[in-house]
Amino acid sequence: MSFISLVVKNPFRNKTRSSLAIVGIAIGIMVIVALGMITGGLKTSTQSTLKAGSAEITVIQAGSSGSGGFGSGSINQSRVADVQKLSGVKDAAGTLRASYDLQGSNSSSSSGSPGGGLPSMGFSITGINSDKLSLAGVDSVNGTAFTNGSVNEIIVGKTAAQDLNKTVGDTVNLYGKDFKITGIFETGSFMTDSGAFMSLETLQNLTNNQNKVSSIAVKINDNANTTEVSKTIQDAYPNELNTTTAAAQESRINQGLSFIDTASWAISLLAIFIGGVGVINTMIMSVYERTREIGVLKAVGWKDRRILGMILGESIVLTLIAAVVGTVVAVVGVEVLLSVSTFGTVIQPSFSLDIFLRAFGVAFLVGIIGGLYPAYRASRLAPTEALRYE
Amino acid sequence: MNNGNNIIEIRNLKKSYDKGKINALNGLDLEIKKGEFVSIMGPSGSGKSTLLNMIGALDRGDEGSIEVAGVDLMHKSSLNEFRSTEIGFVFQMHNLIPNLTVLENVEIPMYETKLSSKEMHQRALELLKSVNLEDKIDQNPTKLSGGERQRVAIARALVNHPSIILADEPTGALDSKTGDIILSLLKELHQKERVTLVMVTHEPYVAQMAGRIINVLDGRIESSNLT
Ligand SMILES: Nc1ncnc2c1ncn2[C@@H]1O[C@H](COP(=O)(O)OP(=O)(O)O)[C@@H](O)[C@H]1O
Ligand SMILES: [Mg+2]
Repeated sequence: MSFISLVVKNPFRNKTRSSLAIVGIAIGIMVIVALGMITGGLKTSTQSTLKAGSAEITVIQAGSSGSGGFGSGSINQSRVADVQKLSGVKDAAGTLRASYDLQGSNSSSSSGSPGGGLPSMGFSITGINSDKLSLAGVDSVNGTAFTNGSVNEIIVGKTAAQDLNKTVGDTVNLYGKDFKITGIFETGSFMTDSGAFMSLETLQNLTNNQNKVSSIAVKINDNANTTEVSKTIQDAYPNELNTTTAAAQESRINQGLSFIDTASWAISLLAIFIGGVGVINTMIMSVYERTREIGVLKAVGWKDRRILGMILGESIVLTLIAAVVGTVVAVVGVEVLLSVSTFGTVIQPSFSLDIFLRAFGVAFLVGIIGGLYPAYRASRLAPTEALRYE
Repeated sequence: MNNGNNIIEIRNLKKSYDKGKINALNGLDLEIKKGEFVSIMGPSGSGKSTLLNMIGALDRGDEGSIEVAGVDLMHKSSLNEFRSTEIGFVFQMHNLIPNLTVLENVEIPMYETKLSSKEMHQRALELLKSVNLEDKIDQNPTKLSGGERQRVAIARALVNHPSIILADEPTGALDSKTGDIILSLLKELHQKERVTLVMVTHEPYVAQMAGRIINVLDGRIESSNLT
């Protein structure tokens, strides 16, 4: 039998104690992996959300809560043309956002709810002219886009199509009317992909918002500066229009994500600490119980270094088993949780190698930190004392 | 002082415990020839185990000199290699590792040698055959009888071809019939392997098996008689 096999075999001598230590560390590893998968998923998802919108500036009604940039106020549609004329503006599109409760099938307020797009808050419908779809991040449609002014055509995002179990050619009932799905799009943004687009005029009529838009998506000239154009728009219509930029949104979201990141590192540290204490305790007890045996190992000529390596190795075996258990539970747990909850469509858990490396790195570290002192103690035992030990 | 025939030479060896309160060895002198079989007798607490531990380099003396198999144990810096190559211990309690098989227990001393796993396996098997345990190699030591365990311990002691076997009351925990089997096995291996055998015992008839009986009292040799 090789030395490695011996090291792997030893922790299973006291199964109860080893299992307890494994469970303790596995919980820590599980938290690290689960949080990592979810925050990683949120990161990629928001990054594509921000990349997807090719409009750099979103114009909203001044004084409305513009968080998320979707606007909850309303703007006179004539302002779309006005904004388009301002210097530095390449293109502008008025959009009206509405949220429709598909389950209850009753129409909800127009203008959407802030941050609308979460399926749990209703099905997000955006009215826009079909030639301006690219400003909303929709660059290509599988099928065809709706025609402007058409009262029964709609395109839906890939996630929405999956959730509704519809494909091109199917119909979906909204506001008591059947809409034909002429196309399905995918932008990579979870919010956009779980919503739908239809003709602006049609949505205005359906939601009683004639000549009103909730926001204006603005694309700036190639050589223009986002901040300057934003200022131009605000200065042209003070107290009426306000702007948010993709960059501003990004930094807001990044702030949130970096908070989650810090929190997950803090939890990791806590896990390392608690797990480390558990491992030290387990290994000290194991060394204590095996005092005579360690005396025998010295008597047959084992080097102190080999005894140190054996105990340290056993400690690392424990924590690596915990890493495997914790990772499996986290992956299965996150998948199950997302499949039964409404977040499933919003968050695609990330399976980046980074997360798993972090989990195994932490486990390895806990193994070394937790095993070092007991291993040192074992290696320093005086053989005669150890052999006299009852 | 070096007499080529002596494998163990001890002069005025002193060892005390508890900050000098207990003098376990009190200026002990002893010579043992290569290939000898020596029994050590003496009352409990007289220093027999301490003497054996000194010969086996499990501990160092405080004063005097001790040379075993040509190695000056008072001054040799790291003793584990000496123990690994020159000494085989057999304790009163077998001290086998309970989660390993009989064969794996016998392999334990070979981790410090350069043998491959396969060679280790072969050597352990060879020795388990010589103590008549080849049919128990995959068993757990906890399932063996006391005598069988002690035979495993003897195989473990011999596995690295030591020049000296140190047995500290090897039959102390066995009934007399099983003890006799262990003793005749030790004697047989001593003759076959030409190994020096130093055995502590408190039973006179056991001591009679050796070529020489040494009596220890208060940490000194009281008498030494050929049988
Ligand atoms: N590690 C030790 N610490 C303290 N006292 C010890 C130690 N080893 C032996 N002694 C003491 O030294 C004396 C001799 O012990 P030992 O050699 O074990 O005697 P024996 O084997 O002849 O019964 C005893 O008084 C014993 O208590
Ligand atoms: Mg003794």
